[in-house]
Amino acid sequence: MLTPLRTHRLRALAIGAAVACAAITIAPATAFAATPVPEATQGAEASATTFRIATSGFVDSFNPFISIYLLPTNSIRYMYESLVQNSAEDGSPTEGLAASWETDEDGRQWTYTLHKDMKWSDGEPITSADIKYTYEQMMTVPELGTANGNLVSNFDSVEAPDDLTLVINLTEPQASNPGSEIPVVPKHIWEKIEDPATYANDKDVVGSGSFVLKSYKANESIVLDANPNFWRGAPKIDKLQYVYYTNSDAQVQALKAGDVDFVTSLTPTQFAALQNVDGVTTHSGTGRRYHSLSINPGFQTRDGVAFGTGSEALKDVAVRQALRLGTDTKTLLDNVLEGQGVLATSFIPASFPKWTLATDNAAVVGFDPEAAQAKLEGAGWTVGADGIREKAGTKLQLRLLIDAEDTTEQSISEYFVPWMKNIGVGIQVESTDSDTLSAKATAADYDMYFSGWSVNPDPDYQLGINTCFNLPSGADGTGGTSQDGYCNPEFDALYNQQRSELDEGKRQAIVQDMLAMNYTDTVQVATWYANGLEAYRSDRFDGFTLQPAKGGIIANQAGYWGFLTVAPVEGGETSTGQSSNIGLYIVGSVVVLVVIGGILFARNRRRKQADVE
Amino acid sequence: MSNVVPPSTSAIATEANAEERPRDLSAIRYYLTKLGGAALSLAMVIVLGFFAFKILPGDPVASIARQRQMTSEQMDLLREQFGLNKPLWQQFIDYLGNVFTLNFGESYVYKTSVASLISQYFWPTILLTGTAAILAIALGLWLGQKAAWRHGSGFDKMVSSTSLVFWSVPTFWLGLILLMVFGGTLQWFPTGGMRSPNPPSDPLGAAADIASHMVLPVITMVAVVYAQYLMVMRSSLIEEMSADYLTTARAKGLRDDLVRRRHAVPNALLPTVTLIFMHLGGLIAGAVTVETIFSWPGLGKLTYEAISGPDLPLLQGTFVVFSAIIIVMNLIADLIYRQLDPRVRRA
Repeated sequence: MLTPLRTHRLRALAIGAAVACAAITIAPATAFAATPVPEATQGAEASATTFRIATSGFVDSFNPFISIYLLPTNSIRYMYESLVQNSAEDGSPTEGLAASWETDEDGRQWTYTLHKDMKWSDGEPITSADIKYTYEQMMTVPELGTANGNLVSNFDSVEAPDDLTLVINLTEPQASNPGSEIPVVPKHIWEKIEDPATYANDKDVVGSGSFVLKSYKANESIVLDANPNFWRGAPKIDKLQYVYYTNSDAQVQALKAGDVDFVTSLTPTQFAALQNVDGVTTHSGTGRRYHSLSINPGFQTRDGVAFGTGSEALKDVAVRQALRLGTDTKTLLDNVLEGQGVLATSFIPASFPKWTLATDNAAVVGFDPEAAQAKLEGAGWTVGADGIREKAGTKLQLRLLIDAEDTTEQSISEYFVPWMKNIGVGIQVESTDSDTLSAKATAADYDMYFSGWSVNPDPDYQLGINTCFNLPSGADGTGGTSQDGYCNPEFDALYNQQRSELDEGKRQAIVQDMLAMNYTDTVQVATWYANGLEAYRSDRFDGFTLQPAKGGIIANQAGYWGFLTVAPVEGGETSTGQSSNIGLYIVGSVVVLVVIGGILFARNRRRKQADVE
Repeated sequence: MSNVVPPSTSAIATEANAEERPRDLSAIRYYLTKLGGAALSLAMVIVLGFFAFKILPGDPVASIARQRQMTSEQMDLLREQFGLNKPLWQQFIDYLGNVFTLNFGESYVYKTSVASLISQYFWPTILLTGTAAILAIALGLWLGQKAAWRHGSGFDKMVSSTSLVFWSVPTFWLGLILLMVFGGTLQWFPTGGMRSPNPPSDPLGAAADIASHMVLPVITMVAVVYAQYLMVMRSSLIEEMSADYLTTARAKGLRDDLVRRRHAVPNALLPTVTLIFMHLGGLIAGAVTVETIFSWPGLGKLTYEAISGPDLPLLQGTFVVFSAIIIVMNLIADLIYRQLDPRVRRA
């Protein structure tokens, strides 16, 4: 039993705590009374049109030399113009800082002429010295090549003969425009920074793009201000703001509630759920990712040392082709992706129509289980008693690795396993986490797994990682960036040819041949190019520019077009960035009730106690 | 009286009975044992924090560079920047040296020190879980003693079963339902975050803004955890109610209400104190789910992002911090129990 002294102490403590709680909660409560509509305090902020985008992305840095995550690199596309831009039309090279360019005969020297009178967001002139400075930093300081070092690896030297001319000398001839995809930074700012490789660059940035970073609060928001000096002209809105939502379902609710104006990367279910919401428009556009089933053709290092645990059977191209013939990608697209995508032919997405393997290419085959069975029969695999094919006492049993957290992969495998059984191939599905999966893929410790990449408008890089040169250098799978362990000397010869083919028509033809060759060799079965599923508050904003212009996407473009032209809707209610007042009133009322109730309760109790004691 | 004595105190009880010894010596010994135990646990957590994440499969650089256009030179550079090119023992020595200065190295993703990230995300978590803890404890204890005093009644059955239903509901599900109904459909409360995108600049407005963002996550947390306080308080008080001193108190002619408040409840509170502190540690660790649903910029969300990274230094940091909080809370529980319950001290 407690002593009277202790009960008093406890009570004093309790009262103290109650007072403290009341003080904390009363502060907001009085705020409702004093400022019923907090908009009043916002002033100029409220009248500015802010376009708010929900995001869950990581931010490593806003330093364009080192940033590698999608969200900051997307923002950097808006902040810093590059010499050459990927067009909205189809991603082909178009004017950036450069108004025009020409190459010498063998494509080793590229000369660019800049637009006149361009200015940084702080009013300083943009000259070729800025570009020369940026490129040379990346070429000479390894740390500054973290993000885009691969884009300058072929650069020999950069010259700036006058303010409006820039010359890039390459070591090898190059067909893809060397001036694209590299953000150009202002020399007058960056040359004063002591250690550019660790500079965060996260507030009051000086840029050349349509929007420049104003402020960044980790895991809360990113604010970009419109740049009135942008050479294409100032945007029609004042601010772009990324708002953090860890959870994609929360993003959908935020759009419904009007807390944000734009969401992207929706699942088909979320997309469907937003289709009949007032004031919201959904948009499904051709994305720039491909999805595929990667098949282990037998890995080897650049020096020809075989490694990995891939099935012997898969080294036979006929078996790999049979897997393709036995897979109905149309059904997968319709049922797993609910039709939100385009059937794939290769690892170059259909959103780059110049390059993607044409569906009517002679190499392309359809779903044909009988042909698959014939292929396997021809390769010497005969059906055993259990329906699984055998050859020389070995069963045609393959492992399929799937990511346990990826419902798409789980759904695909539910279709895939019976299809394979149908042609006499036994599939053992092994479900694991994505890190294990990625480690196994690197070490070639698989028969099949699902893969996918986001692809840039120029196909050179994606083709390059399918050459023998990009095979791993170590027998543990490290030291290379090979896509599927593919190596075909004929493919490599064509790769070198397209790399320096300056005639675009001829280059297209070579690329088609390469993709057809890779298709026939079947180191992967490209399943689909998933659509980007997006939704926005059409009651507030419209005027998005798609890439590609026909049926493309708004966010995650290989360019800055999506939000460049967005404008407030005439007569539409633009956002104030304020949360619902109803919530505030409820919180306020509850707090007031609790406080009043508490006071009454305490008084009542004191009276009762007085009666007894 | 209650027999709900935490296991950690049983050793002391035997010790206390053993022999007469100077009072303060036993106290010092008690504190030293408890502190030593906590320090040992912390040391183990620190060592585990290194190896547990090192044995994780996969190459962090490969994960970060996954599906990105990078040359192997660029990847080697990243490996060097992260110190992954050093031998494991060297990395371990570096890690140990750093941990004692509360330096967990630099986050792979955020490119900034883990210590600064943790200190930045710490207070939002304390604000959210602290508020939820106060409300859950108050609600749980209050309902618990009411239910116990009238145990077996309709009120008791209703209160106990409601709390148990909430307790068994998955936090994630409850949070999402609240978010969809009160955030998306009714639009009464914000759908996530700690502040509005453009928060009011005056302090009162800003506080109101944060308060409205706290409502849904706090309700979710309180709903899921208040049952454990309720059940402990209820069973503790029911046991207390058969004690003789209550009969004495009643015999003195005290009103039933006073007997409950002044005599029974304070004694029944004893076993709950330890449990509250033990649960507080768990509550902070449980913030991961709630912060993820409501995009609350706290340690839980930071941990979630570190896992998706995967950002090993950050994971190590949050793991050590969460474990340290739980260890410290348990230590406080032990120490407070000794202060509150004379039986533990008696020697």
